[in-house]
Amino acid sequence: MNVVKTRKVLVVEDSRLIHKMYEVMLRPCLLIAAHDGREGLARLAENPDVDVIILDINMPHMTGLEFLGQVKTNAALASIPVIIVSTEGKEEDVARGLQAGAVAYLKKPFQREDLLKIIGRLEGKQVSP
Amino acid sequence: MTVDESVRAPANEPTVAGSHKPTYAVENSGDPLATLMRARQLIHDAQAAIEEASKSVVQQRAASAEIPERELRLAKAENEREELSTRLAEVEHQVGRLMTLYVATYQLHATLDPADVLSTIAEIVVNLLGAEQFALLLRDEDEKALEIRLQEGDIDAPWSRAPHYTGGDPLIDASLIDGMLRFGPSESSPVLVTVPLRVQDVTVGALVITKLFEHKGKLDEEDRDLLDLLGAHAASALFASRVYSRAARKLRTLEGLIKLVRKG
Repeated sequence: MNVVKTRKVLVVEDSRLIHKMYEVMLRPCLLIAAHDGREGLARLAENPDVDVIILDINMPHMTGLEFLGQVKTNAALASIPVIIVSTEGKEEDVARGLQAGAVAYLKKPFQREDLLKIIGRLEGKQVSP
Repeated sequence: MTVDESVRAPANEPTVAGSHKPTYAVENSGDPLATLMRARQLIHDAQAAIEEASKSVVQQRAASAEIPERELRLAKAENEREELSTRLAEVEHQVGRLMTLYVATYQLHATLDPADVLSTIAEIVVNLLGAEQFALLLRDEDEKALEIRLQEGDIDAPWSRAPHYTGGDPLIDASLIDGMLRFGPSESSPVLVTVPLRVQDVTVGALVITKLFEHKGKLDEEDRDLLDLLGAHAASALFASRVYSRAARKLRTLEGLIKLVRKG
């Protein structure tokens, strides 16, 4: 069984349904919700101690990749692992996300156990881009 | 019998771990009886040492005989562990499925705003079913035609370009008539699946999916639960929200009228 020990997770996602899904799936974690990249950066400024960021790609105002670019160029935030969870599932989309600095790329619809596995590996520091 | 010389243990006498070592030297005390007693004691001690050594050898042999049995038990335990781990993975998977169904139902009924319900239906179809192209057909208020309330992607079908669905797709038509879920595509229909939307056993519309994301591949048995859930809950959530918003609108109108009457 995957036991998620991670305490603080920033979820940058525009779907309320998926926010609710994370809330149920990652119940032991403290989730910080943002509904687009811009709000994600604001939440991150308030909570620079987040353990993981779960990021969607297609969002209004600021896309996931733009958000990721901003995070990775900020020395104070660059080390926070980012997991992309998106409906964009083509090979070039995955490659683009990983090149931008994400540690993992999960395609929607996803299985809960796959997300927990990725987070579990992150806790063991075994996930690499 | 006279024993008047020293009796010593041979140099190559084996040492057994844990055995007490007897003293083999018999002092010549000059008293033959005492010497005899000492010699007897020595023989007794030697016999005890031999017995102990034999026991130890037997134990070692027994332990080596147990090894295959232990290995067998270890293999059995390992098999059981693997079986449990497989079952646990299955349970975890089922938990994930139930969570998905719970969240979909929760979110469908979490709002009384018709636009929010429509957006939730779209989110479920895109994010949980992996549909790239779909449409939601719903009987309009005068119940004469099926309004295309929601459309995502460029559906390659004649009906998709009109505001209303007037019939023509055999799969959709059949589902609307008998209220059964149907899978395609067929020669005469590009539809992958049509889900009749029902309120109190009356079919009031249909969710029509015509294309999935490439990485999704195909709809599987697990998606069936979600499709059934949409069939049962999507329409009732939409109708409830529509009725509520209509009632709220009427209430506001009445309140406005009452205010006017009071002012007048």
